[in-house]
Amino acid sequence: MNRKTIVYIPVVLLVLFISSCTKSIENVSRPENYYPGTFSDVFEAFWTGMNNNYIFWDIDTTDWDAMYRRYQPVFARLNINDSADVRKSVNYFRLMTQGLVDSHYNLSFGYGAVADSSIDPAYSRKMDTIHRHVFYPQYVVGYMDDGVDGIDNSTDPNEVRYAIAGTINKNILYFYCNIFELKSSYESSTNNDIKKVLDYFFAKLANPEGLKGVIIDVRGNPGGEVTDLNFLLGKMVSSPLTFGYTRYKSGNGRLDYTPWAPAVITPQAGSKGLNIPVIALADAWSVSLAELTTMAIHTMPNGKFIGETTWGANGPISSNQNYNGGQFTASDFLYAYTSSSEFKYLDNNIYEGKGFPPDIAVPFNENYLSQKRDAALEAAITDILQ
Amino acid sequence: MKQQPAGNWLPMATVIFLLCVGCSLSSFAQFSIGLEGGYTRNYLQTNNANRDFTNYTPANGFNIGIPVQYKISNWFAIALDPTYIQKNYVQQRSSFYTGTYQISTNSYAELPIMAHFMFGGKKLQGFFNLGAFGGYWLSGNVKGRMPNVLNPIDSVTATNTVYYYSTPYNYNEKYTFDTRRDNRIEAGWIAGAGVSYAITDRYSVFAEGRMRQSITDMQKNYMINQVPRYNNTYSANLGIMVSFGKNTTDNQ
Repeated sequence: MNRKTIVYIPVVLLVLFISSCTKSIENVSRPENYYPGTFSDVFEAFWTGMNNNYIFWDIDTTDWDAMYRRYQPVFARLNINDSADVRKSVNYFRLMTQGLVDSHYNLSFGYGAVADSSIDPAYSRKMDTIHRHVFYPQYVVGYMDDGVDGIDNSTDPNEVRYAIAGTINKNILYFYCNIFELKSSYESSTNNDIKKVLDYFFAKLANPEGLKGVIIDVRGNPGGEVTDLNFLLGKMVSSPLTFGYTRYKSGNGRLDYTPWAPAVITPQAGSKGLNIPVIALADAWSVSLAELTTMAIHTMPNGKFIGETTWGANGPISSNQNYNGGQFTASDFLYAYTSSSEFKYLDNNIYEGKGFPPDIAVPFNENYLSQKRDAALEAAITDILQ
Repeated sequence: MKQQPAGNWLPMATVIFLLCVGCSLSSFAQFSIGLEGGYTRNYLQTNNANRDFTNYTPANGFNIGIPVQYKISNWFAIALDPTYIQKNYVQQRSSFYTGTYQISTNSYAELPIMAHFMFGGKKLQGFFNLGAFGGYWLSGNVKGRMPNVLNPIDSVTATNTVYYYSTPYNYNEKYTFDTRRDNRIEAGWIAGAGVSYAITDRYSVFAEGRMRQSITDMQKNYMINQVPRYNNTYSANLGIMVSFGKNTTDNQ
C-alpha cells in the first residue's frame, strides 16, 4: 500500500467523523406559541408548559409522564369546535392537576364555552375540611385599649386593603393587615388610612419601652408583595435574618434547579431590633407571603408562631421570564398560575402543600367566636404575659 | 428528540481500515508512553429556544493525560490515553437580566482508544487519531450570580436591570449530583491531528488538536420530551513520549 493511500484513509475517516458529529436537537416551543387548532395542540402546549416550567417536580408525587400517556389520546379524541367537548376538557385538566403540590396553582380558562372557568387543586383538596374564612379584627377590637385602623381602596381600586394596629393590656403591640400591600399603600401618592396605621405601629416599634410583646396577625391573609417582608419585619431586626432559601429552574429538565439562595430579612434604617417576644398569629387561610412572614417571625430568637398550620403555598411568584419558570399561557386556551421558585424553610424542610405548623397549636374554635372571643389571640396574650 | 444517526459509513470504513493494517503489518513493535496536557473548550449542545434572553456559551478548561501507544507498523499504532478533562460551559442571560450567569465546571475521567496514523519523515511526523472514548463524570462546580427574589432591594433607583429590584446572589459551590437526573457515564467519538518531533530515538514531543463528541446525554432518560445535552469538546495539547522496544523495519 503506498503512502498516499495511507494518509488519505484517516483523512477521509476524519472528515466523515466530523460530518457525523452535528447533533440535531428539536426546538422547544413556548406553550403560548401552540396554535389552538385542535385539542391535541392544546394538550401538548399545556403538558409541555408544565413539563418545562413547573417548579415542584422534585417533590411532587404526580407522575407527569403517566399523565401524558393517559390523557394525550383522550384529548386527541376531543373536538375543539364542539362546546360539549370543550367543557369535558376542563374536567380532564382537573384530573391531571388534582394532586399537584403547588398550593398557589390555578388554571383559568379563556376559551369559548369554558371562559371564566377555573381549577384550584389545593382549594379542592381542602374545601371539605377547612373552616370558614374569618375576619378576625372584629373580635380583636374587643381586646384592644388603644389603636387605629384604616383602609386603602384608592391605590388599587380593585382591592380593599385594611390594617389595624393598637395595644392590648396597654403593653402588647398588635398589628393586622388583610393583604401584604403595605409598602405600596404607604408610598402611594393617593391619600389612604393605611399610612396612619403604619405610622402608629412603626412609632411604637421605634420606642418599645413598656411593651412586653408584639403580635403580628396574618390570619386570613392571602399574601402579597415580597417587599413587605423588609418593610414590616425589617423594623424588628437589627441584623440580616436568614429564614429559608429559594431556588429556580435552571433548564428545561424537570429536575434542573439553581442553587439555593438565602431568603433574608434586611434591617431597615434605624432599626435597633426587638428583644421582647414577637408572635405570629396565622391560620389555615394564611397563604403565601403571610406564611413567609410567619416563618420569618418563627426564626427570630424571640419569635413564636401560635395558631393553625398554614395553607401551604410558599413558593414566590414572578413572571416566567424573570426566573425561567412558573406561570404560563397554553395556546390561548388556558392560563396556568404557578410558583416560579421553590422555598424551603431554615430547617431544610419544604412546607409547600403541607403548611407550616405552629409552635402552639390553637385550633379554630367556632364556640369561642360565638362568644366574641379569639382563642389564638388569648393564647398569644397569655404566652407574652406569663 | 430526533438525533442524526452516526452514519452508515462506519462498517465500511472499519473494513477498509483493517485491510490497510493487515497489508502493512510487519515485525514492528514499539511501545511508547508519555505525558500530555493542554487547553479545552467545550460547547454544550442542547436547546433552550423557549427561554428569554438565556444562552449557553462555550467555556475553557484543561486536560491532562498519559498517552500510551503501541506501534504495529511504521504508519499505524493503537493509542490509549487515560485523561482527566474538564468540559465546562456557561449559561448567560442578557438584556434586562444582564449579570445573571452560571459557569458549570465539569470534570471527567476519560479513556479514549484510538487508531493512530503517522506519516512524514524520521524526525518530523504528522499524525491523525481516530477512535472512541468512555468517561465518567467525576465532579462538578457551579459558580454564578442570580437575582434573589426573597432579598428584594428596598429602594428601587432605576429599572433597567433585574438587580435594581433584587439583590444579586453570588454562589460558587460544588455541583450536587441527582441520581434521578444525572448520567455520569459518557461515551463518544474522538478525532485529532497533530505533529511530533523526535528529539532522539527514544524521546519525541508532539502538539495535537482534538475534538470529542459525546453521543450520550448528560441526563438519564427520566422524562418524556427530554431535551438532551451533549458535550462537544475541543482541545489543544502539548506532550512528550518515551519509546521502548525496537523498530525492525525501515520506517520510510
